[in-house]
Amino acid sequence: MVSVLPEEKLTAELVKPLTGSEALMQALVAEGVDTIFGYPGGAIMPVYDALYDYQDKLNHILVRHEQGAAHAAEGYARISGKTGVCLATSGPGATNLITGIADAQIDSTPIVCLIGQVSAHLLGTDAFQETDVIGITMPVCKWNYQITSADEIPEIIAKAFYIAKSGRPGPVVIDITKNAQQALMSKPFQYERCEKVISYRPRLVPKQEQVEKAAELINKAKKPYMIVGHGVQISKAEKELILFAEKTGIPVATTLLGQSAFPVDHPLYTGWLGMHGNYGSNVMTSQCDLLIGVGMRFDDRVTGNPKLFAQQAKVVHLEIDPSEIDKIIKADAPVVGDAKEILTRLMPLVNANDHTAWRNEFRKYDAIEYEKVKAPALAPTTEKLKMPEVIDMLSKKTNGEAVMVADVGQHQMMTSSYYEYKKPNSLITSGGLGTMGFALPAAFGAKVGDPSREVIAIIGDGCFQMTIQELGTIAQNKLPVKAIILNNNYLGMVRQWQQLFHNRRYSFVELQNPDFITIAKGFGVDGHTCSRREDLSTSLDTLLASDKPYLLEVIVETEHNVFPMVPAGTSVADIRLE
Amino acid sequence: MNTYTICIFTQNTIGLLNRITIIFTRRRINIESLTVSETERKGISRFTIVIQHESREFVEKLVRQIRKIIEVMAVFGYLNEDIVYNEIALFKIATPLGTKALDVETINKQYKAWVVYWGLDYVVIEKTGTEKEIFDFFSYIKPHGILEFVRSGRVAVGKTEQGLVEYLPEAEWAYYL
Repeated sequence: MVSVLPEEKLTAELVKPLTGSEALMQALVAEGVDTIFGYPGGAIMPVYDALYDYQDKLNHILVRHEQGAAHAAEGYARISGKTGVCLATSGPGATNLITGIADAQIDSTPIVCLIGQVSAHLLGTDAFQETDVIGITMPVCKWNYQITSADEIPEIIAKAFYIAKSGRPGPVVIDITKNAQQALMSKPFQYERCEKVISYRPRLVPKQEQVEKAAELINKAKKPYMIVGHGVQISKAEKELILFAEKTGIPVATTLLGQSAFPVDHPLYTGWLGMHGNYGSNVMTSQCDLLIGVGMRFDDRVTGNPKLFAQQAKVVHLEIDPSEIDKIIKADAPVVGDAKEILTRLMPLVNANDHTAWRNEFRKYDAIEYEKVKAPALAPTTEKLKMPEVIDMLSKKTNGEAVMVADVGQHQMMTSSYYEYKKPNSLITSGGLGTMGFALPAAFGAKVGDPSREVIAIIGDGCFQMTIQELGTIAQNKLPVKAIILNNNYLGMVRQWQQLFHNRRYSFVELQNPDFITIAKGFGVDGHTCSRREDLSTSLDTLLASDKPYLLEVIVETEHNVFPMVPAGTSVADIRLE
Repeated sequence: MNTYTICIFTQNTIGLLNRITIIFTRRRINIESLTVSETERKGISRFTIVIQHESREFVEKLVRQIRKIIEVMAVFGYLNEDIVYNEIALFKIATPLGTKALDVETINKQYKAWVVYWGLDYVVIEKTGTEKEIFDFFSYIKPHGILEFVRSGRVAVGKTEQGLVEYLPEAEWAYYL
C-alpha cells in the first residue's frame, strides 16, 4: 500500500490526452524506432515541437535535403534490417523525398516516411505548400495513407511499420495533416503492434507441394546453377543458403544486390552476374540445365534479352512476391515464400551431391576473364590509376569486411567486381533505380544503423555533386563515414556507352569539377587527393586510420571502361570482354 | 483480341480506384468499362473492369499486380464464357407530334426493353443485356432519333457454385485465371 501515491500519479498521467504529435512520438518509441532522418518545415512543426521532448529516445539527424533523408533511411534499413524512418514537411519537402521512395520501392527496402500536410480543411484548396502527396507517391510506394485526425495515429503508424517490413519490404508514406498533429486525442493513447492486415497476407511459409516439386527438379539436375538475390539478405537466410549449397554442391552466383549474401572466397561461388558481372557466371546461364533463382526478380540487367536467357534450362524460382513469378522468366517450379523458410524446407528433400566437374567448367571462363580483363586492370601500366586497383587494395586493407556503399556508374560496377565481400550486407547500392547521389547519404545512414562496421562510400565525381550537401550532415553529427571519390572527370558510364554505341560522340559527359577537398574542408570534413600510384597505399591508410569522417579523392584514368559487358537488350552470350 | 472481365474485391477506402487504374495506365491498357459497388459484405467493394487483350499471360500478370495493392482482398480474371454478365442502357428517343409511333410491343417483346419515362415529346427506354443486345436495340431504335444514349459498365457474376465473397477474407493466393 506504500505505492498508492505514485500509482495514482501514473494513472493520471496516462489518462491525460496526448496531442497527435505526442501520440506519434509515443508510437515511434513503442515501435522501437531509435533514429529519424528528417528536415523540418511549416506543416510538420507540431511534430518537431513534440520531438524536442523526445531527443533522449529518438535520435534525429538533420539532413541537408529530403532526398538525403530518404537515402539515409534506406542505408540504415539495408544494414540493420530495421525499418528506416524519415520525417519531412509538406509540398517541396515531400516531393524531394520521391526519388528515395521510388528507390526503396524497387530495391525492396523498408522505410516509413512521415510527411506533414496542410490542415484537413485546406486540402484541395492549393494552400501554401500543399501537394497531393498520396497521389504522387501512389505509384512508387508499397502503401500510403493520409491521417486527418489524431485518433488514427497509433493504429495507422503500427500498420505502416508492419506493411513496410513484412513480406517483400518497401516504402510506406504517411501523410499527416497539421490539424491531426495539433489536436488532442479523444481517447487514451494505446499502442498495439500490428501483426495482420486482413487484405494483405504475405506468404512466408511455402506450400509443401511447391517445395517438393522444386526439390524433384533439383535432384534430377545434372548442371544446376543458383542465382541469389537481395531477398536472401532481406530474409537473413545467408546461413541456410550456405548449408543448402554445400549439401547440393550447386554453384552460386549473385545478382548486384545479392552481392555479399554468399562469401566471395567460398569454393562454390562463381561470381556475380548481369550486365557487368563475371564472364563465367553470365555465360553459364546458357549451359546449365536447371536455374534456381533465390530471392531475385530476373531484372533485365541480369537477363539481357529475356527471350534468349537460359532457354535450355528448367527454372526453379524461390520468391516471396507472387507477382514476380513468371513476370520475366517462366518458372517450371515456382515456390512462393520467404527465402529462409523455403531453403529450410528444401534442405531435407534434396540429395547430397557433388557437381565438381560441372563447377570446374566455370573456372575456364574465370581464367579467360582474368587474363583479358582483371590482370590488366589490376596491374595497369597507365600513368593514372585505374578504379580496380583502388578497390582491390581497399579490399585487401579492410580484409573484405567493410561495408561498401557504392553510388551509380562505373565505380559502382568496379566496387561490385573487385571488392571481396566476406560478410553479409556489405554492399549497399541503388540497384533497380540506379539513383546517382545515393551513396553519401546512404553511407551515413548505414553508419548510424550499425556503428560497429567500417562504412566506406565509393562515389563518382558526377554522383558526388548530386548530394554533396550531405557533407554538412556528416560533419554536424560527427558520423565517421569514409568516402572515396573515384574522379575520372566524366560521367563515366554514359561516356562508356557513347564510346561503344554512339561512335565516341561524347555528348555532355565531361565535367568541370570543383576542388572537392576544399569543399569538404569547408564543411569541416578532412580529406586529401591522391593522384599517383605510389601514394595510393598510404592514402588509403590515412583514410582508414581516421576516426572522423574523411574524404579521399582518387584521380583515375579518364577513359577506362567497365568489362565484362553484356550490351543492353542482347543475349548474355554476346558478352564483351573488351 | 479477347475480352477479359476482372473482378476485384477491396476494402472500401479512399483512393482505391486510383491505385487500381495506375496499374492499367502504366502498362498502357485501356479500360473498356468499369463499375464499382459495395458487395453483400459490408465495407467490401467490388470492381468489375472490362479490358481487351490478345495475351492471356499478360492479363494474368496484370491480375497479380492488382493483387499486390494492400487494400485488395482478391482478384479474379474471367473470359466471357465463365461469367453471367450484363449492362444497362438508357435511350432518350424523340417523339414529336407527327412522327412514326414507337412500336412498344416489339420493344417489349422482341427487345426486352421498357419505357421508363414519358416526356412531352420524348421517352426514355431502359434496356438491359449484353453489349451486343444493347447495340442490336440501338440499331433498331436509331431511326426514331436518339437524343441521348448512355450505357453502364458491365456487371458480372461467376458461373461457380460458390459466391466469390466466400473466398474472402481467407482467400489464399492462387492462380485464379
